[in-house]
Amino acid sequence: MIQINNLVKYYGDKKAVNGISFSVNKGEVLGFLGPNGAGKSTTMNIITGYLSSTSGTVKVNGHDILEEPEEAKKCIGYLPEIPPLYTDMTVLEYLRFICDIKGVDKSKRKEMLARILAMVRIVDVSDRMIGNLSKGYKQRVGIAQALVGDPEILILDEPTVGLDPNQILEIRKLIRSLAKNHTVILSSHILSEVQAVCDRVVIINKGRVAAIDTITDLAKRLSGTSKMLLAFKGPVKAVCSSLHSIPGVNSVNTRISDNEIHEVEIGINNNTSGDIRSSIFFTMAKGGWPILEFRSLDPTLEEIFLSITNGV
Amino acid sequence: MLAVFKREFLSYFKNPTGYVAIALYSFLAGYIFVNKFAGGTVNLSSEIISMRSYFLIIVPIITMGLFAEDKRRGTDIIYYTSPVSIFSVVLGKFLAAMSLFFIMFLNVFAHMFVTASYGGVVDVGTWGSVIVYFFLAALFVSIGIFASSITDTQIISAIVSFVILLSITAIDRFASNISSSLASIFSSFGLSSEKVNTICEKAEKAVNWLNPITKTSGFRSGIFSVAPLVFCFSTTLVFLFLTYRVLEKKRWAQ
Repeated sequence: MIQINNLVKYYGDKKAVNGISFSVNKGEVLGFLGPNGAGKSTTMNIITGYLSSTSGTVKVNGHDILEEPEEAKKCIGYLPEIPPLYTDMTVLEYLRFICDIKGVDKSKRKEMLARILAMVRIVDVSDRMIGNLSKGYKQRVGIAQALVGDPEILILDEPTVGLDPNQILEIRKLIRSLAKNHTVILSSHILSEVQAVCDRVVIINKGRVAAIDTITDLAKRLSGTSKMLLAFKGPVKAVCSSLHSIPGVNSVNTRISDNEIHEVEIGINNNTSGDIRSSIFFTMAKGGWPILEFRSLDPTLEEIFLSITNGV
Repeated sequence: MLAVFKREFLSYFKNPTGYVAIALYSFLAGYIFVNKFAGGTVNLSSEIISMRSYFLIIVPIITMGLFAEDKRRGTDIIYYTSPVSIFSVVLGKFLAAMSLFFIMFLNVFAHMFVTASYGGVVDVGTWGSVIVYFFLAALFVSIGIFASSITDTQIISAIVSFVILLSITAIDRFASNISSSLASIFSSFGLSSEKVNTICEKAEKAVNWLNPITKTSGFRSGIFSVAPLVFCFSTTLVFLFLTYRVLEKKRWAQ
């Protein structure tokens, strides 16, 4: 569906994108993950034809974005980081304008707009001025704009940034429903978001691809280094040494320690057989040290980066 | 192109810009006309030419937002990522501004109608002035659009186009200044005054060649010629093309 080959983009002397290659298959939801300034938006802008690359090619449905821009752009619906909204128009006026710009057939227009309005749930506000809408609604209008013309590919640049938790959940649900009929590229710097909606993830860092993998494989890669947090009452040294003696525990680091309550981070080797959590529990029970808190620490994006960049 | 035209034209009436421009124009044109009308001698050509001085203010105001505002809001991305050519976007915005001009000019058409129905003079010279009016308007609007494409601040765009338009209307003064300073330089070299005069005349003529206003001055007396219109038209196209290049450059900037 999309082939990206050795993409390079300079901004002055700065290399924003440095040889990125990957491909997106039909019907797939691809997460595009990276810290701020990694080159996510730049890459997306190049794929959609907003910017040109310094070198490298982008092919959308077999059409090169530079050589056959009109054909390629017809296949893409794009929601940029800041939704491109004319605040002085009503939602419906704006979407009709987008229909005009994208050259949507007059006969299909009415049915399509009705369908899109219902899908992103903005029917109630369709006659309101965009400037007066809340941020969540504006974001939905932005998604509606990308859906106009029924493009096969949707490119969404950080669609949930700046929304409240409820809105984030709704937008995610919307993206998942869109994924049934579209190929979606979704950028984000939030890991859980990508985990929630994507089939495959491209992680980029400093303009380079750090990893391309499915979510499950990515989790496996990290499995060697998963961590638990344990808070307890008791003597730190004795607890640490007995924790160390449990097979499968790699490391024990003290995080917080005051007179009575201590918090340690336990590094676990998941490849050992048996559930380490119960061994830890029984060890603590045997020593008579009450457990105050015991939970697994979800790997943060930073940890994924560290593990991936250190591992490769 | 039509989509862009429609959007931009309607947006003039979604904020005060369009109304203020039309109201001001109607007031000024009406004031000039009524004064003359009461005096009993209406000269429509001179009314039209006086209204041209209004270009200096109105053109920057109605063109400053056309591209600058799109860039500030980030809506320019719509045009770059849709299957439309950027030149058609430029043309659409240009036509929107020109249509506003046409609406304002309806005032003058009304004045022409009133004059004619009272047995006044609406002659070839009047129509000549109308033709020149629109060609100059197109040229000035294209300059305003160009100014709007090089910045993302409306005010800067307005200032840039104001300065360019002001220099165009002052070309004849530049020309005579240049020729008089050349005269003093050459006469200090001891050239004969005859030679100095021919040099100065030629220099003045050369600079004035750039002046679309003196070029088209024959039209008000009914002397029509194609060359000045071609000059205005092609300069308009040059500025629209420059605008297009400036916008395309953004895509290619490294």
